Amino acid sequence: MLIMMGWTMISKERVRHMTKLAAFEEREGKEYRKMTQYFRRDYVGLELLKSFLSGTISFAIVIGIWAVCEMDFLMDNINEIDLISFGTEILIKYLIFMAVYLLITYIVYNMRYTRGRKKIRLFYNRLRKVSRLYESEGRQNGLED
Amino acid sequence: MSDLLELKERVRHFYGKYEVYLLPVVKFVLAFATFWLIGSNIGYMERINGLSVNLILALLCAILPVNAIILFVTVIVLANLYALSLEVCIVGVVLFAVIGLLYFRFSPKDGYFTVLTPICYTLHIPYAMPLAVGLLKNPVSAVSVVCGTVVYYFLAGVKDNAVLLSEVQEDTSAVSKFVVALNPLTGNREMYLVLAAFALMSLLVYFIRRMSVDHAWTIAIVTGILVEFIVLFAGFLTLGIEGKTVWLVAGNAICAALGFVLQFLFFNLDYTRTERVQFEDDEYYYYVKAVPKLYVPTKEKRVKSFGGKGRDGQRERERISREDLAEDLDIDRDLLDL
Repeated sequence: MLIMMGWTMISKERVRHMTKLAAFEEREGKEYRKMTQYFRRDYVGLELLKSFLSGTISFAIVIGIWAVCEMDFLMDNINEIDLISFGTEILIKYLIFMAVYLLITYIVYNMRYTRGRKKIRLFYNRLRKVSRLYESEGRQNGLED
Repeated sequence: MSDLLELKERVRHFYGKYEVYLLPVVKFVLAFATFWLIGSNIGYMERINGLSVNLILALLCAILPVNAIILFVTVIVLANLYALSLEVCIVGVVLFAVIGLLYFRFSPKDGYFTVLTPICYTLHIPYAMPLAVGLLKNPVSAVSVVCGTVVYYFLAGVKDNAVLLSEVQEDTSAVSKFVVALNPLTGNREMYLVLAAFALMSLLVYFIRRMSVDHAWTIAIVTGILVEFIVLFAGFLTLGIEGKTVWLVAGNAICAALGFVLQFLFFNLDYTRTERVQFEDDEYYYYVKAVPKLYVPTKEKRVKSFGGKGRDGQRERERISREDLAEDLDIDRDLLDL
């Protein structure tokens, strides 16, 4: 179906595809852009690194606020506390927290990558369709000239 | 039943057509309700809890993305906590920082759920949130409900201990104020119980409604509500928490009804919206407004006749219509048979 516009024609089908492409790019494009730039391993690795940083900062904040609350107890018993076992206990808690947090990150971002790549594949298929429509329109215009 | 389907289709069409106006209105109402609730519950700083300030901020939220509501809510809550006491404000900052770090890693687009959770608590129907997340979103979105729940319990604790926290006495040291402010979170077994029940409910509802069985959504709603009710009821009994049973029953009944409303509105329905996009190629700039089509035209009646004139009658109708068409187009009828 073609619409006459001045001296040339615009394909309705092409505009329909282009509208869907533009809508996808505008709404979800930003979210999926990274998935086109990275391999799965790099993408998930980057997210794991971000989670590692945010998890460590969160844990440090929580430990900090706990220390403030227990300040009186800590100050009174600072000499009696076995610092090595105390430190090991905190370290074990930190490792357990990070293991759970990173595992969740790994699963979630792997799933997101799979879903994102699927959507991007559909996006590129549509893009190819638009490109083919342009080519056929070009040929048609050439024939008319 | 057909009336209901028609209504469903109308709602979908209405949303598709007027989405651009509806969303800001929804955001405005949500933001205003949230600011008003904050002001009426923990409004310790009078200057920022006035009606005019609330209205202006809610109007701003209407045109900004949904996470702007979260930003404004954070600022308003912290300002109110600061007016109460500096220590509580610091605990608030820490809490929001931790939630921000975890929340924005996983579900930065679920701002509605985070904001709605504390509102649902004040309406005694918090169970609606994990149910809605399970039905409409994915398991990761349960993080937003968890964040909303933690914030609610923290603020409820602050409200209950406001007198103690605002006291300026020598024997009330800064450290003890920290402890009082943190108590609603650290020593609150009810909160942990609710968090576990809500997380379980979200996951259960999500996985059941995704199963390929008949009436998956109905089974998901009923199972989710029942499991959450049993977990909370048993938990309250074990922990010795009293005075919650009436609202637990009533709230769950209301939430079941809400669940079925959600099922009616969202089950198997794509709320495709009006798209307004701009793009260009070598020759043109395109400004496209794509309006979703109405799938089943309402009140359209199709009359099918069976038997009667049979094939001959059909041919006759065909011939008549071709003749009409030829007349309309002002061409020879034979051209249509080519």
